[in-house]
Amino acid sequence: MGLAACGSSGGVPKQATSGSFHVLVYGDATNKVEQEVVAQFNKTSKVKAVLDTIPGADYQAKLQTIIGTQQAPDVFFNWGGGSISPFVKAGLLLPLDDMIKSNPKLKSSFLPSVFSSAEVNGKSYGIPMRGTQPVLLFSNTKVLKSAGISQPKTWNDLLADVSALKAKGVTPIALGGGDQWPTQMWFEYVYDRIAGPDLLQKALSGDKSAWASSDSKKALTVLKQLIDAGAFGKNYDSVKFTDNGSPKLLATGKAAFELMGSWDYSTLQSISPDFVKTDLGYGAFPSIPGGKGDPADVVGNTNNFYSVLKTTKYQAAIAKFLTLMYSDQFVKEQLSIGNLPTTTNTRQFISTAAASPAYDQFQYGLVQKAPSFALSWDQAYPPSDSQPIRTAVQQFFDGQIDQNGFIQAMQSLSTS
Amino acid sequence: MTSIARTVAIRRGRQRSAAGTDRVARPGFAWALPATVFFLLFAIVPLVLVAVLSFVSWGGLGSPQWAGVSNWTKLFHDPVMLQSLWLSLLLTVLGVAVQTPVSIFIGVWAAGYQRNRAVLSAIYFVPLLLSATAISVLWRALLDPNFGIPSQARWLFGSGNLLGSQAGAMGVLVFVGAWQYTPFHTLIYQGAARAIPRVLYQAAEIDGAGRVRQFLHITLPQLRNAMITSMILMVVGGLTTFDTVLILTQGGPGTDTTISAYYMYRKAFQGFDFGTGSAIALLLVVVATIISLVVVRISGYDKMRSMAEGV
Repeated sequence: MGLAACGSSGGVPKQATSGSFHVLVYGDATNKVEQEVVAQFNKTSKVKAVLDTIPGADYQAKLQTIIGTQQAPDVFFNWGGGSISPFVKAGLLLPLDDMIKSNPKLKSSFLPSVFSSAEVNGKSYGIPMRGTQPVLLFSNTKVLKSAGISQPKTWNDLLADVSALKAKGVTPIALGGGDQWPTQMWFEYVYDRIAGPDLLQKALSGDKSAWASSDSKKALTVLKQLIDAGAFGKNYDSVKFTDNGSPKLLATGKAAFELMGSWDYSTLQSISPDFVKTDLGYGAFPSIPGGKGDPADVVGNTNNFYSVLKTTKYQAAIAKFLTLMYSDQFVKEQLSIGNLPTTTNTRQFISTAAASPAYDQFQYGLVQKAPSFALSWDQAYPPSDSQPIRTAVQQFFDGQIDQNGFIQAMQSLSTS
Repeated sequence: MTSIARTVAIRRGRQRSAAGTDRVARPGFAWALPATVFFLLFAIVPLVLVAVLSFVSWGGLGSPQWAGVSNWTKLFHDPVMLQSLWLSLLLTVLGVAVQTPVSIFIGVWAAGYQRNRAVLSAIYFVPLLLSATAISVLWRALLDPNFGIPSQARWLFGSGNLLGSQAGAMGVLVFVGAWQYTPFHTLIYQGAARAIPRVLYQAAEIDGAGRVRQFLHITLPQLRNAMITSMILMVVGGLTTFDTVLILTQGGPGTDTTISAYYMYRKAFQGFDFGTGSAIALLLVVVATIISLVVVRISGYDKMRSMAEGV
């Protein structure tokens, strides 16, 4: 494996002129679009693409068990960043730089902040597919109005909103703490606003002192202030997002805000279409005065990606298949099912093809203008770290560990 | 010389005849062969593989690397692992303590013959027919602090943060486990209670013993073997509890309900550390075996005393 690993470019790409390659994706409702893309590709290609799906909950575990074996797919779905770095380290993935050199549109057709999140050690390993998922601050405008407040622009606005809402007897912020990852989103944003994206990058590259820096401590202090103000109520650890607990709080007006990925829109739509139509508000995460991070920064899942295995015999055909990821047809189909593709041509189709043009327009602007789009911590770190991160995050919110305990927990993570 | 040869011959003859009668009287080893082969294939071989895996470092990618005892030393210094063993034991002990008395009372009651009892027993049996996953999802919804039972009974549940504290979350796990498995153990006791000879009760009545004394001095002692069977099943079930934890608490809050079986899953299938996961699995096998042996030894079950003895 090590022999083929070094970046010897210039060699003729391996290509078989007949046969078929396998594309492995996360199994869910979006597969409809992927099936159409594969069918479209097969119409004109001699080498055929075969789509395989694994049900979502089992996807990552199954992928990891087959990727080093004979059953490994040729192309597979992933989240970029930490989700592929173990595979890159094991020498399994094909750097796509040669493909991009012969077809620059494979890179230039995508928003840069998104494309770069599938780069490892300066090489490209993924082509964006599906839609972007920034984390937004959702709100119930009816509740805000009755409390006489509006969507917060700054951290102080948010703190003021919290006390106004508490006086009204409403839980200010719905939080699915039982799932732990929604809690983590609050850390991601506060850290980014106060320290900027460099802190996470530094920590990821192995410099553990980043977590003990004064910025890190300030972020924790600010978070603690919000928790102690009673912003999340008392029972958030018994609430989950995954069983619709926290979105229901927002939709029924028992809570005023929820910090959640853009998929919350479709979740809320399935719970209460009326609420989405009349009272759903959304906005960017508030700025924090004095922070180093750009208030336009975004965190979340930048997108999903297709990565290619080094062992494939169909590089030429796959290069052609990947060009479909920025085709007009693909963009329109993704928009129609509520996904927001991150190609440069997306904007022109939003008003005609999107399920909710205003919402998609807002999201697209947010992502396009973002100087930095930080990956969720548990996606940026290797998989073995995700549980320790989530545990530390929950324990800090519950007061089981203090600032030092949290810093220690983050410093004991393994970096790749 | 000749006499020795003769004795040997006689012995051989005896042995042969003894073996011969055996073959006629009891089934030979061949009868147990299919079951033994299956047991070897599906229990012993995987167990040995797990034991081997516990000495390697393997993330599912590439080939496993020999790691010596490092997985084991890491485990014994891991506070979460030590806590998880303690939590597993606590969950098991609480499960036995709650389920045993309840199942004995209901089991003995259900051993009666009136028609309404049969109907009630049938209804009561329903939780056992549902999958543990369905039950966990059901109870999660019922215990939701904002939309479930606690929101309607604030005087009892306060903020309803049942799954947000260690005591609350463990309590929920014990309760849901009992709700699901008590019917099964009730069935064991019902069967055992019906097998108690009626003459015992008739004799006691003649002697003037009341219902309470009959229960304490006849029913309970006669249920002894059923009790041991049921308790061993509870111990094994308690130590391997997994699905309820996965769905109800995910080991949280923090690591407060991370019992060993769940920690094993977390290490192996979420953290992709199959070596450590296997070590935890093996540790669980050892602990469960020891506890079962202790229960058997203390209870005297290994002597296989007859239920009819002393009648």
